Amino acid sequence: MRQFNIKIIFLCLALVAMNSCKEEFLEITPRGALDAQVLATADGVNSLLISSYSMLDGTASNGFGWESANSNWVYGSIRGMVANKGTDSGDQPDINPLQTFTEAATNPYLDIKWRSCYEGIARCNEALRVLAVAEENGTVSADEADSFRRQARTLRGFYHLEAWRIYGQIPYVDENTDLTAVTNQDDARGPIIADLEAGTTLPNDMGQVGRFNGTVAKFLVAKAEMQMNQNWSKAAGLLQDVIDNGTKPDGSEIGLDALYGQVFNAANRNGLEAIYTVQYSVNDGSGGWNAGWGEVLNFPYKSGASPGGCCGFFQPSFDYVNSFRTENGLPLLDNSYNDDPVKNDQGLTPDDAFTPDEGPLDPRLDWSVGRRGIPYLDWGPHTGSDWVRDQSYAGPYSPKKQVYEQSQEGSFTEVGNWTSGYTANGYRLIRYADAVLLLAECQIESNQLDAARQNINLIRARAANPDGFVKDETGKDAANYQIAEYPAGGFPFDSQDNARTALQMERKLELGMEGHRYFDLQRWEKAGAIDAVDELNRILEHERPLLPALYGPASVEPVDLLFPVPQRQIDLMEGRLQQNR
Amino acid sequence: MLLFFAILATSSAYAQRQISGTVTDGVTGEPLIGASVLIQGTSTGSITDVDGSFTVEASDGNVLVVSYTGYNPQELTVQSGVSTYNVELEAGLVIDEVVVTGYTAQQKKDLTGAVSTVGTDELLKIPASNPTSQLQGRVSGVTVSGDGRPGQPAKVRIRGFTSLTGANDPLYVVDGVPTQDISTLNPNDIETMTVLKDAGAASIYGSRAANGVIVVTTKSGTRAGVQVNYDMYVGVQDPGPGPDNLLNTQQYADLQWLVYQNDGTDEVHPIYGPSPAAGGASPNLPPWAANTNWWDVATRDALIMNHDLSLSGGNENAKFYAGLNYFNQEGIVIENFLKRYSARLNSEFTIANGRIKLGENFTVTGRTGNGVAGIGTEDSPITELTRAQPIIPAIVTQEIEGVSRTFVPGEFGGTGISPRLGNSGNVLADRTRDADDRGNDIRALGSAYIDVKLIEGLSFRSTFGGTYQSGYNTNWTNATYESAENIATPSYNENSYVNSDWVWTNTLTFDRDFGAHSILAVGGYEAVKYGISRSVSATRAGYFSDAFNFRTVSNGATIQAANSGFGTPTSLVSYFLRADYSFNDTYYLSGTIRRDGSSRFGPDVRYGTFPSISAGLRVSEFIGVSDFLSDLKLRGGYGTMGNQLPVSPSNQFSLFGGGTGDSFYDLGGTGTSSLQGFRPTRIGNVDTQWETQITTNIGFDAALFNSALQVSFDWYNKKSQDLLVVVPLPGVYGAAAAPSLNIGDMRNSGIDLQLDYRTRITNDLSFNATFTFTTYENEILKYAENIDFFDSTPPSTRIGAFTRNQVGRSLGEFFGYNVTGLFQSQSEVDGAPIQDGAEPGFFRYENIDGDDAITPDDRTFIGNPNPDFTYGLNLGFDFKGFDLSAFFTGSQGNDIFNYNRWWIDFWPSFQGQKSTDLLNNSWTPERTDAMTPKASNKSNFSTNTQSVSYYIEDGSFFRLRTLQLGYSLPANVIGNVGFSRARVYLQGTNLFTLTDYSGLDPDLNTGADTAFGVDLGNYPLVKQFLVGINLGF
Repeated sequence: MRQFNIKIIFLCLALVAMNSCKEEFLEITPRGALDAQVLATADGVNSLLISSYSMLDGTASNGFGWESANSNWVYGSIRGMVANKGTDSGDQPDINPLQTFTEAATNPYLDIKWRSCYEGIARCNEALRVLAVAEENGTVSADEADSFRRQARTLRGFYHLEAWRIYGQIPYVDENTDLTAVTNQDDARGPIIADLEAGTTLPNDMGQVGRFNGTVAKFLVAKAEMQMNQNWSKAAGLLQDVIDNGTKPDGSEIGLDALYGQVFNAANRNGLEAIYTVQYSVNDGSGGWNAGWGEVLNFPYKSGASPGGCCGFFQPSFDYVNSFRTENGLPLLDNSYNDDPVKNDQGLTPDDAFTPDEGPLDPRLDWSVGRRGIPYLDWGPHTGSDWVRDQSYAGPYSPKKQVYEQSQEGSFTEVGNWTSGYTANGYRLIRYADAVLLLAECQIESNQLDAARQNINLIRARAANPDGFVKDETGKDAANYQIAEYPAGGFPFDSQDNARTALQMERKLELGMEGHRYFDLQRWEKAGAIDAVDELNRILEHERPLLPALYGPASVEPVDLLFPVPQRQIDLMEGRLQQNR
Repeated sequence: MLLFFAILATSSAYAQRQISGTVTDGVTGEPLIGASVLIQGTSTGSITDVDGSFTVEASDGNVLVVSYTGYNPQELTVQSGVSTYNVELEAGLVIDEVVVTGYTAQQKKDLTGAVSTVGTDELLKIPASNPTSQLQGRVSGVTVSGDGRPGQPAKVRIRGFTSLTGANDPLYVVDGVPTQDISTLNPNDIETMTVLKDAGAASIYGSRAANGVIVVTTKSGTRAGVQVNYDMYVGVQDPGPGPDNLLNTQQYADLQWLVYQNDGTDEVHPIYGPSPAAGGASPNLPPWAANTNWWDVATRDALIMNHDLSLSGGNENAKFYAGLNYFNQEGIVIENFLKRYSARLNSEFTIANGRIKLGENFTVTGRTGNGVAGIGTEDSPITELTRAQPIIPAIVTQEIEGVSRTFVPGEFGGTGISPRLGNSGNVLADRTRDADDRGNDIRALGSAYIDVKLIEGLSFRSTFGGTYQSGYNTNWTNATYESAENIATPSYNENSYVNSDWVWTNTLTFDRDFGAHSILAVGGYEAVKYGISRSVSATRAGYFSDAFNFRTVSNGATIQAANSGFGTPTSLVSYFLRADYSFNDTYYLSGTIRRDGSSRFGPDVRYGTFPSISAGLRVSEFIGVSDFLSDLKLRGGYGTMGNQLPVSPSNQFSLFGGGTGDSFYDLGGTGTSSLQGFRPTRIGNVDTQWETQITTNIGFDAALFNSALQVSFDWYNKKSQDLLVVVPLPGVYGAAAAPSLNIGDMRNSGIDLQLDYRTRITNDLSFNATFTFTTYENEILKYAENIDFFDSTPPSTRIGAFTRNQVGRSLGEFFGYNVTGLFQSQSEVDGAPIQDGAEPGFFRYENIDGDDAITPDDRTFIGNPNPDFTYGLNLGFDFKGFDLSAFFTGSQGNDIFNYNRWWIDFWPSFQGQKSTDLLNNSWTPERTDAMTPKASNKSNFSTNTQSVSYYIEDGSFFRLRTLQLGYSLPANVIGNVGFSRARVYLQGTNLFTLTDYSGLDPDLNTGADTAFGVDLGNYPLVKQFLVGINLGF
């Protein structure tokens, strides 16, 4: 009996002792993740750099949807009144105040856009920090390190520039910034330019079309100098260099595509015109996140018979469409185009008879806008109000530039998703025509009017190629297209002011719906080239009676030329951020 | 030597002889089956058989203790010459129950902490597959909210909220195995659920106790031969008429005309023709117009069925309980169902002369079902039901020239028929296509133990237990043709997971009386590892055929996703000690201490110590016992508990990672592939530690009126400190996950009250009633440095967040603009502070800050989802063989944010179904007293884009949860055919609900604790009618 007891007690003690005091039992390292040391090699830094590039579309599955799309359909085009929100009144209602210039600083779109820019910056900074470790460890060659550093800095400059032109006053954050102390009261422009300039010595051939090269960096410096500092001469030099010596990042040639419509074809996304296209990929296992997530809402709304399948957003405005009216092949620079508006089917059902406008029009209209009766790529003619969600709310027009062709369904679009609107039609972040027109703008500002005219005419000549006109089923021009080049010597290149007006119109016609207009107006306002508030109010007054539910009693004030700093960020930074208004 | 003698003494025996007798109910005289007859101070004894008879070997002078659950135990001394004892037991006091608490069992009368129990009979009154749903209203201090999804666990909160993060689920301990999930337990296998509410009771569970602990004890065998029970019920769930505030087809067209009138719109409507301004006198309905009641289309009378077969028995050296269960519940939404199969085997063997017990408790459960996705989001099928326009035919009956295609009879109708039909799905189509989707899982939960009596009063126990779960799910997404937004290509997902955890507990228990002094002490060591998991998921799109037999991932043309997960487990090492001392059953003192180490925290801070102390005083010993007062005990306790649920197991580490969708990029410009990239995914913090909760509890237990009325009352104050908060980092930090930091503070206080009353009105008629009453008052004391609120957004909302959790207020309060009324005229608009979108008939908001404009600063708190109190009331009558019970539950004073109104009370909230209020009771120049704003197509700040008080409704309710009428066949009838028990019953569930809430069901289960009380298409609890049988052999 006694022995039995002792055995039992021993057994019990053994049981307890067996797993006592095992400190290593409490050491559990995370599964399925990496730490900084593992990444401190050339390949590791490159992978961090890839994630830095991946924010170029503004979207990512860790919290950044169409609200922060870098194609800027909301901030550039809708705010610039080239388009309105589209769809119906209650869909994505946070855009409603953005398009009527009544947004509060609490608007969630503004916060998401802000965070998207700084997520891009944070990724660049992390790449630079880990790069420094790799250099210390000797696990990256000096050449590689130099290239990585320049790419990361250029990207960081790009993300800052994006934030700067939206919010005006932003914190500049690099890999050494004390994030607990940073404010938005210092001028961020200098460091932004310096970051962008770091990339100008990158080679033109980076081996991959998705990397930033020297050309891209030079263009970005020029754009930043124009936008932030109105430094026309510096920008002009860089842009001329881009045009003369630039290449795409894979080293291939750049120039104007022969046909205007070709520029927007998904298959041609890295074509001649593309100095830099944000690379979208479909069916790569990302569920659409690497495809055109930012623009997924912006397709017509005729179930099954129109591309995408959703959601009827981003409808071109009447004023924008009317600007394509020509007289002797030239645009109406006094805005009188609205006196002879392009005929549309507002208020008609698809069954009602309708004949499209027969007056003279710039052919670029029908590559930029879907409208009743005109072939919509290879999808057949746009049939009117059945292509839009609520015509009485947002008008009769549909977006067109980012849309894919019917023949591309499944190969250039994500399959098996709720919509085919996730496309591989990457956003043309920098296209050749933009560089040419920016150069023309610099030339006008430095009063080289004829040089500017010639550059603008390059663009118009391409648009005037009749092979590039939209054709109907019989092969005839789908509308009465008339476009001509500006003559030497006379109006509008007879004065700097008139030339500015011509340039401003040309950018609207050539680059409309591509996310630039609002930022163009900002820049021209600063240059004294336009009264942007008046211009926006002019369009507002034109649109309001046509779409009363959409615009209501809105008006534009000078403060509306920036978006407010997100209230959420002001709150989180405990007073270190100042509101810009 | 002394030790040896002690052991010898207990195992020695004097001259023994056979004693026999019967145990019966003192009032009815019915035999009590399974009553225990024990010789005091030994483990020797017997159990009564089906006739209530027992035999036991005893010596003269031995004291026999006769006990039976629910009856007062009786002691009798064996007298020389008397061999037969017939014992009549009296229905007993609740406080005499034995309660399983942390690592020990105690008599309820000896408790000093706040503890409530609920037994199998009460639990089983609610027909549900899930024990959590059955707790509602049964236990004071516990707030339970559920919904109507088959198998869906209810949300259980003990004494309010502990954590700011929403990680407030209690810890369940099932036969010694800690777990967060008891949904796989068969309710019929549960003997009792004991809720440990305060630190005095629960802090023995240390770092996992802060949300309260529910100790679940499953049934064990009796030592009275073999007992077979068969219980079943079958019934039907009636979805009822559904929402009563939706439009029919003609009304919907009329509403469009009202909108035209109000907005002065001039257009040709694609369905109804020219608007009034365009010359249309009235809307024209097209020939294809249906008048679909989508509720009727997508719901059904649903079956619910349960079969339980249990087998129990044993002898002096072994006992076992085996249970088999089959449960099948259809949801009221078509194709939705859950089937569950479970088996249990509990057994215990006594060897070495009763010195060693070996035992195990084991259950395995398999479930298969077709779930409804998206509950609590706008994709809820319940929301879809109320979003689809009635004009859309569910099934097309005539050829329709649609927008994109020609619909032929027999096809599904949908929003693709015409513009302006909105973007809702066809629920019938969706549910039909999803009919073959299955969620399957198997989960085993069990423990094995050895219990060794070392010396008299001292025993050692080692328990090893754990859970293992494996699941497999299939999910087909059909291509659609009927909708405005179609899915072009079918896709198919399969996913699978395994997870497991284990616990090893070693305890020494000392339980001994020294005269008037009683000591019960338990000390132990525990190692736990949980959250061990792996998962894999793959999706492909592009299927050549929709056929079920063709559905494998391999058969898809395009890979959409191929992912796997690898969970970071958590390990815990713990030491604990608990000592209860009582003197003379009058003075009680109890102390516990637990020290836990957790892998979730950095090396320097990973240990936490959680002590508590509690005391009791039987006041009735001083003031004397009378007919009025038979017992009164005061209790009080103070202590701390911890919580580590809210912190990620990876919290201390800075990590990199990233998936295809967030950090890959197609550098090569291929258009169809992307290169791998990594991003910072987590910012670590090594100083993060436990949340701590400091609890004060004061209460009393009393028995009044000859013990007919028993009262248990507790007041508590819980201060939660060092609460884990993931302080949102400013955008400049990037989007890596921020670490949890210990910075928040919160307080809960309230009272728990339970009244039990039983009386015998006549010899044949008895009555019992139980009333539970629960309150909590929650206040956030601190959130983070310089930040005093955080907003919480429900899973899907079109108007942003509407919950603000702010210091000085309760968790989950609703925040937005307070609607003071509707603008009545343009002059009122002009005279009011500037408000974007203001016009006659739209909301006018309260100008809180008094300036000249309505800005975000004018938002305020507009409602509170926390109830003033919740309660349950059970009334039971027994008359001869009949029993009748009615169980009521309710909640009082909680607000609901009825987000469904956003869809149906505003015309521009998508072109879906609308409410009768919008047509008949909305503002017009003539209907100036309307509450609903003008029917208009304008979506702006003054209509439907903001969180406003218009959506707030009173969510109080009072519900007859169950009504049951049973009849037990008399023993003399069933005895002849071999039954020991035969009862049939009829039951109605949720027969009526008194509430002002306009939605389908005020009992809401969805939403995190930081954003709860929001109705986003809740799956309602509906009426059920059952018939059931209980048989015993």
